[in-house]
Amino acid sequence: MIRKVRFFSIADFEEEELWLREQHRRGLRFVKCVPPCFYVFEACQPEDVIYRLDYKNAALGADYLQLFGDYGWEYIQTMFGWCYFRKPASLAQRENDAEIFSDPASKVDMIRHLIQTRMLPLLAIFLCCILPNWARLVLDQAGRMEQILGMAFTGLLLLYVYLLLYCAIKLRTLRKKYARS
Amino acid sequence: MFLEVRMDERLRRIYVPMTETGFYILFCLQTPQHGYGIGQMVAKMTGDAVVISPGTMYGTLSKMEKDGLIAFFAEEQKRKLYCITPLGRELLEMEIRRIERLYQNSKGESVHD
Repeated sequence: MIRKVRFFSIADFEEEELWLREQHRRGLRFVKCVPPCFYVFEACQPEDVIYRLDYKNAALGADYLQLFGDYGWEYIQTMFGWCYFRKPASLAQRENDAEIFSDPASKVDMIRHLIQTRMLPLLAIFLCCILPNWARLVLDQAGRMEQILGMAFTGLLLLYVYLLLYCAIKLRTLRKKYARS
Repeated sequence: MFLEVRMDERLRRIYVPMTETGFYILFCLQTPQHGYGIGQMVAKMTGDAVVISPGTMYGTLSKMEKDGLIAFFAEEQKRKLYCITPLGRELLEMEIRRIERLYQNSKGESVHD
């Protein structure tokens, strides 16, 4: 087993697909992903294998996995709603055989589903929990301990804001790109 | 005209005109079929010009089932078979009339429908 550390945000699934493909090409077969950023691989014969991620924020039906299996996609795992599939590139003869979405509308639907069930809850947590707590801690700085805590919390808050903005902008760009294609 | 008035306005907005994927899926479900079977039928009918991927197939089937255009028919070895409903048939016929009119007008034949 080989472990690698790599962080992909929820808006970086295309980069993640390419990265996993690259690893397989180098002889590292993807086994599983452990949140937030740990990837487990096993050594294998180098091969060109296409990886695809679908987002489904619901229990996976047996018919869903069967359908992907019928199309030649091997199911690997589901993590936080992301379903990982792979297929050897040699089996993808027609153009759409390498894709899990064949029309722009269904790609746009996936982005919309992602925004509604991931981005909006993250935004709600930010506005209802993180921001009020941060304000209370920073405004109410009595002792040295609170000051240190306040600074640490400010750092975390900035990281959260950065990630939220990054994902929101990237998902918007992706949605536009898919809608145009 | 009577059918068009009765039809739910929301569904008409979504499904008329239909996407190529949506049209072929609904067309194939005039006889019960599962997702992969539909995909194979469509690829054969169009000489591989329309190849529907599984994510698109699953999403479209789920949406059409929710909107009442198709209904669950049976399960065969973990594969769900669907079939068109009377509502789905109305929409399909409406779409076929639209495409016929489009085709005939494109050929310069005058059509008043």
